[in-house]
Amino acid sequence: MRNYPSDIPVSSMGGPATTGVEDDVRITRLFESLRPELLRFALWLTRDRALAEDVVQESLLRAWRSREALKDPACSRAWLLTIVRREHARLYERKRLELVSLNEALEHESNAFLSRDDGEVNALRSAILQLPIEYREPLIMQVLGGFSVDEIARELSLSASAVLTRLFRARNKLRTLYGLTPAPDSLGSEEAP
Amino acid sequence: MICEDARRRIGAEPGVTSRELADHLRDCHACVAFQLEMITLDAHIRRALQEPPAIARARRRLPAQRTWALAASVVLALAATLAVWALRTDNSLAHDVVAHVVAEPQSWADTDAVSEAALDAVLRKSGVILGATPYSVVYARSCWFRGHYVPHLVVHTAHSLATVLILRNETVTTRESFHEDGLYGVIVPGTRGSIAVLAANGAQLDELADRMLLAVRSTNAVK
Repeated sequence: MRNYPSDIPVSSMGGPATTGVEDDVRITRLFESLRPELLRFALWLTRDRALAEDVVQESLLRAWRSREALKDPACSRAWLLTIVRREHARLYERKRLELVSLNEALEHESNAFLSRDDGEVNALRSAILQLPIEYREPLIMQVLGGFSVDEIARELSLSASAVLTRLFRARNKLRTLYGLTPAPDSLGSEEAP
Repeated sequence: MICEDARRRIGAEPGVTSRELADHLRDCHACVAFQLEMITLDAHIRRALQEPPAIARARRRLPAQRTWALAASVVLALAATLAVWALRTDNSLAHDVVAHVVAEPQSWADTDAVSEAALDAVLRKSGVILGATPYSVVYARSCWFRGHYVPHLVVHTAHSLATVLILRNETVTTRESFHEDGLYGVIVPGTRGSIAVLAANGAQLDELADRMLLAVRSTNAVK
């Protein structure tokens, strides 16, 4: 069973005094080893490196403060990814983020990007980045984070059928990139499938 | 379940087949093809997400200590990659087969049987002919794979679609089953080389591979 950070005292400060030094060292190493993966996850969510680094930094701090809640180290990846996702959501709640033209940002970086990757994957990455957050977020959670539909539903406070619809629509939008015909989408709401 | 529901379900979770969906797929080749397309698309999505997006460089200058830490982590990552590469075994054949199939998603889209002449041309290029099988070949290309042209076929079975790669230059000693990128597969040793068979579900893959193995024969006109 996974640990979920629902039991994280968000406003708590300072770590528990009872944790042993060895445990702290172990958990620090664990967090650091997962940091690149957390950053990648945050980058796909935020689409901004500086912001992603802030989100990861803040998430690791929160995780550290709540490290006693992590009962099973095997669950640490999912636990930390969930904290990152929540921190990202919290960021949007706290302040209205400056909007940046994604096309400009992509264009700005495209030369370096194309030089080390093929055009098809590049196009797919661009398309994923341009998906609205309500489609991009569950897709990234599912494919990159390995979360199940039920887990995503719980995390996003949605019904499982709404998550299924969002995942279907995300992939359906990406299908066109490959010259594939999108599947019919006659759903008015997200609750139908 | 109707096709629209099946496709929504597949689009949401391409690699997951519920009992209800499986029942539908048994009788609907179009939805099977859709599932395979989505599985290959999903493999591309997974690969696309493996690297961070190349937008928005860091606005802040990294402190020297972090720069060194970054350099060290790059060195470690390279070392780890080299170690994995050095320990690579023949199992990578299965990986290469999946990568090849996933890179050719249009192979799942054809529904009409390939003409005998077109199929024969593809097979003869690799020095093989195909005897009688209960399957209809709906896609046939001669593909460059690990330094050789190999026949890349998609066959319609009674209930599904499956990819068959005839690998005359890839020797395996035992039958190897695998599951990667949402595709189930098996590579079986033949009298010369091997045959790889892949499909969206693992049912009857072995039987299909055995039938193809029996049907594939060498010609004298090997090029």
